[in-house]
Amino acid sequence: MPEPLSKIPAGMRYYCGPEARLRRAIEATVMSIFDGWSYEEITTPTIDYYSLFEHGMGPTQAHRAFRFSDGDGRLLAVRPDVTSLVARAAATLFAQRERPLRLCYVAPVFRQQPESHTDWRRESSQIGCELIGANSSVADIELLAIVCEVLQQLGLDRGCSITLTDIDVFNGIAEELKLDQDSRDEMRRLVDTRNTSDLKQFLAQYSGTKDSHALSRLTQISGKLEILNDARQSITNARSRAALDRIARLWSVIESLQLSDHFAIDLGDVSRLDYYTGLTFKIYVDGTGRRIGGGGRYDALTASFGKPEPAVGFVLELDALTDILLGRGESNSPAKSSAEPALITDTDLSGLFRAALDKRALGERIVIDSNEVAL
Amino acid sequence: MTKLTLAISKGRLQADALGLLQRAGLRLSSDVLSTRRLAVEDESGCYRLIFVKPTDVPVYVEHGVADCGIVGRDVLLEWEPDLLQPLALDIGVCRIVVAAKSEAIWNQFGMLRVATKYPRIAAKHFGARGVAVDMIELSGSVELAPVLGLADCIVDLVETGSTLRENGLSIVEVITESSARLVVNRASYQLKADAIGQLIRSVDKASQRSANGD
Repeated sequence: MPEPLSKIPAGMRYYCGPEARLRRAIEATVMSIFDGWSYEEITTPTIDYYSLFEHGMGPTQAHRAFRFSDGDGRLLAVRPDVTSLVARAAATLFAQRERPLRLCYVAPVFRQQPESHTDWRRESSQIGCELIGANSSVADIELLAIVCEVLQQLGLDRGCSITLTDIDVFNGIAEELKLDQDSRDEMRRLVDTRNTSDLKQFLAQYSGTKDSHALSRLTQISGKLEILNDARQSITNARSRAALDRIARLWSVIESLQLSDHFAIDLGDVSRLDYYTGLTFKIYVDGTGRRIGGGGRYDALTASFGKPEPAVGFVLELDALTDILLGRGESNSPAKSSAEPALITDTDLSGLFRAALDKRALGERIVIDSNEVAL
Repeated sequence: MTKLTLAISKGRLQADALGLLQRAGLRLSSDVLSTRRLAVEDESGCYRLIFVKPTDVPVYVEHGVADCGIVGRDVLLEWEPDLLQPLALDIGVCRIVVAAKSEAIWNQFGMLRVATKYPRIAAKHFGARGVAVDMIELSGSVELAPVLGLADCIVDLVETGSTLRENGLSIVEVITESSARLVVNRASYQLKADAIGQLIRSVDKASQRSANGD
């Protein structure tokens, strides 16, 4: 029996009415904030070579893309990620431009394989910005300040948590233990899921190494500033210590800006894309069990495209934001309903549209009444 | 006051999980424990407990409808939900095994017929050995399959092994150990950090006390 034409493929959906208006309004609000910080909009190809994403996101994440062959047999993918594409443009199209580059985008990404059971969407829109060619805590703080402004303007700053970590805290320990890639991935998964008991078993083979203890502590270390002292007691290698110092410096600025209520430090938060190299953060707000965005530093990514330079960026899930704001009621949402339209009616077809064009020339909202027209 | 919702596996784990939570300081009246209601509150009003099928616990927690849950490791291995699992508990201790009428299953090259409620765990296990598998998914009474010739072996959860023995099966291989886990939703872990940290600490203490036989 043929599939009915009414069926929608898994993970796809329509938006219309209040939902579509709200979605557009959120997009406009966030993009105008990006513009306020002098980020320039960039649109990227929807389809590109799979190898680009494989380099950019790492093979595990890139595998989730919709893939197909080009006429010449090369493998293509429908964009599963925007950052890889922006990084390539920065290294090529914008190679000669003055640094830092500030770029932003809103674009759908497509993923054939969901990341988790709650991740049902296979098409989801991302709003993000990238700050390329600036290697300093100044750039990190700029991005975090933009995130805070976005949450505040969307009315999501109460009951939100932006969790900070530096992936080098984990990397330093993994290096100390001399782990091969597979063990490193397995350990990252155990730390990320806070699976202390399995992690202890896994680390038994590395017993005697001082930092194996530090690693199992990582899973439990989250909170505010005080946890950095806690971490310093169990973590001794130089690379991790430098990362802890970076977080401490970042935190003192966050505190001086009186934003520390919105932030937490979570050293066990080591998941996400392979391209992150330093600071990473995730954004959670009340009203959904999933994170609504995240970002971090990806200093090694543009090197894949021939121009190594530091970069930092973040992305917000537009669909998740829409769901949350819709759930909270439209009264405090950024979507303003439009004025009631004027009904344009006439028995004469030309007269009808003359009247319509006149009103439109004044910028008024109209709706054509076709019932009275004598044809 | 932050209120936490806990999803508890109905059935095999339920009584032990409730006992553990009581030792961890949740005040559950006998009325609450004997009721057939699927959602109840503890006396402090800080905790709401919901009772769902074991395989549904990760579903509720992953969506954030429940903040935490108590569920067997077998369910987590099979469904691979995206959850935090900060505590291994000392309840619901059992093994996931390959069982058959005899060891002779290993003499067969080509194809092994496996009956199970855990197709993903089984596929991963035999996949790592390079064994081709005809996976026969059943939802209960798995032990019957080798007896009636539906399958060469089963992959199942075993507590004492008496059901296996009574059906003429024996353990060929232990795939992994399983016990209950405390699982936590990723967003709740951040947004309700204090309440969840408190719960993890008190359940951990209660769990270690009983492990020491106190």
